[in-house]
Amino acid sequence: MTLLGIACRNIRQRLLTSLLTALSLALGVALVVATLVTGGIVKQAFESGSGLGYNMIVGAKGSPLQLVLNSVYLVSKPIENISWDFYQQFLPAAERPDGVDGTFAASTKTAVPICMGDYYRGFRVIGTNTAYFDRLTIGDGRPFAFSGGRNFRNDEFFGGVLGATVAAKLGLKPGDPFAPTHGADDGKVHDPFTVTGVLARTDTPVDRGVFVNMEGFYLQDGHAKPVEGEEASGQRTADSGEDADGSREHGNREHGKQGQAPLPFAQREVTALLLDTASLPGLPPELMAMGLRTAINEGRDGQAALPIAEIRLLLDLFVRPLELLLLLVTTLVVIVSAIGILVSMVGSSLERSRDVAIMRALGARRSHVLVVVLIEAVLLAVGGGLAGWVLGHLLVGAIAPLITTNAGVSASIFSAAPGAELLLVPFLVVLAILAALLPALAAYRTDVAKWLSS
Amino acid sequence: MRTGDLWREREIYTAVPQPLNPPVKKPVFDHPLPPPDTIPPMATPVLELIDVRKSFTMPGGEQVNILDIGSFQLAADEHCALEGRSGSGKSTLLNVISGIMRPDAGRVIIDGIDIARLDEARRDRVRADRLGLVFQQFNLLPGFTALENVLVAMSFGSGRPDRDRAVRLLDAVGLRHRLDHKPSALSVGQQQRVAVARALANRPRAVLADEPTASIDPAHQQQVIDLLRTTCTEQGVALLVVTHAADVAGQFPRRIRLEDFNRAAAGHRS
Repeated sequence: MTLLGIACRNIRQRLLTSLLTALSLALGVALVVATLVTGGIVKQAFESGSGLGYNMIVGAKGSPLQLVLNSVYLVSKPIENISWDFYQQFLPAAERPDGVDGTFAASTKTAVPICMGDYYRGFRVIGTNTAYFDRLTIGDGRPFAFSGGRNFRNDEFFGGVLGATVAAKLGLKPGDPFAPTHGADDGKVHDPFTVTGVLARTDTPVDRGVFVNMEGFYLQDGHAKPVEGEEASGQRTADSGEDADGSREHGNREHGKQGQAPLPFAQREVTALLLDTASLPGLPPELMAMGLRTAINEGRDGQAALPIAEIRLLLDLFVRPLELLLLLVTTLVVIVSAIGILVSMVGSSLERSRDVAIMRALGARRSHVLVVVLIEAVLLAVGGGLAGWVLGHLLVGAIAPLITTNAGVSASIFSAAPGAELLLVPFLVVLAILAALLPALAAYRTDVAKWLSS
Repeated sequence: MRTGDLWREREIYTAVPQPLNPPVKKPVFDHPLPPPDTIPPMATPVLELIDVRKSFTMPGGEQVNILDIGSFQLAADEHCALEGRSGSGKSTLLNVISGIMRPDAGRVIIDGIDIARLDEARRDRVRADRLGLVFQQFNLLPGFTALENVLVAMSFGSGRPDRDRAVRLLDAVGLRHRLDHKPSALSVGQQQRVAVARALANRPRAVLADEPTASIDPAHQQQVIDLLRTTCTEQGVALLVVTHAADVAGQFPRRIRLEDFNRAAAGHRS
């Protein structure tokens, strides 16, 4: 019989105490694992916003972080809109009605406009054009794929594409109608769009988006910018969702019907532009982006934000400290559980002392009994730790649908934070050894003669 | 052979081998010792004590001598009963012999090794390999089966735990059918049998039994003594039984009183 066998026997001998100790440890580890994994998922949610085929956001002057959160992650409120003319400055001659390159056209590879401000049953409605799905990607250069239907055509003013989460949650499929509301879920109901396609899951915020043809978006009530001379009090607020009077019309309601002419350029605005900056031969792309960003920010028409930089800032400022705090709390839980090992072993030290004395009388060395106690602690830690690891993943699996719906990233029982999780077991073993040192030393110092004579 | 030492011990030495269940004899400590030429030569001792002293410091700081033994020997195949009153130092003597305690002075030679000079770890190894201990309370490990109790003892010896030998030992003490029983499922007599089998686990040179019959009823006492003597005889192992029961001591071919050769316990002599 080896020392390991003796330690196993001792655990079985005190089965209930051992099980309770391991359970306490398992619960602590489950919390740590769940925190690590969900923290990783949150980070993944933010990092999934990069590498989507654009590297810069152009929007109205204001908070660059808010611009990024709103445009990329579909959270927070839009700041303001930028003018249609400013948008045109990023387009090449071929895409402009006047046939002249825009001011920033040379620095721009792709410019995709988005218009925001409407909702459909809790999900953001984004007015855009076909380029969103044709020229942008879902990360790492992978193109968008449709699980059903197709992208809307530019002449399908009232066509829409749904993200995977939206379609799954609302049970919509290609051909189904849906009518966004203005400004908020309880806002004025707009004219209905028709689902032309449902996107395959991307594990990005796009899964939570309702994308409609921006031509149809412009034709909705309250979405046209008042032209000069027309109703001075009619402030344009549609895209920002701040329409104080949802019933107020903007003089072009007749355009809000299917088959009507598109909204004149003079009455258009966009919320933001998703830009993929051009890279010139011999120059690093970052240099081009920095130059364009500086040029835009020095102007009065809008601002440029780099999503990766903004998100890195957000992660550094808020997410990482929060993650560290959560990790600290859960680590304390594990330490308390480890103290449980200590308490359990100290509690059984009386019983153990007699066994130790017997083993010593049989010829066991002090080091033998010390090692047996430490092995017991390590076995409890590894057993409890593995049970907690499984439990933690079961926990994540249980809340996975909630995470997928709200964060737009897929989460499952198999979601993992490999680095931290791999460190967990050695950490537990060290912790268990530290916790068991006291009872192990007590066993080491057991007075054999005293216990044998008692 | 140090016959002078034997004289000092004032032993009752019987030259004729005793039956396993000899009739109980009244102790005759006060009889004159036989003349030296009637004492048979002792075989190579497996245990030898030379000028061993052990004292304890009391809580008040007083130094109390427990052992002061000039000489004591136990031959390799000898069976000996050691009698003594409470407080005469019997348990301390067994602890010193088994290496659990280190004497303040003197030599404790086990199978040719002076364990008094060894550090604790080496004394532990000598105890594991060369001595078998049987306790008054049996002291079986409660969470382990009969077989595992024997295997545990083997795991502390120099050799590898030998399951077949453990089974054979338990078979020899009549417990073949109780291998997987824990102590709580065994009778008192069966527990003591396991303790005897465990004491022999590592092929010891001597078995030290501390009051092995003190906590069992008279009906089982004889069985335990028979078992110890028979098994040790079969295994060729020396046996030193500490007892305060005269009828038990009377069954041994060699019978000594601790007070007679422990100068520190002289005051206890009746």
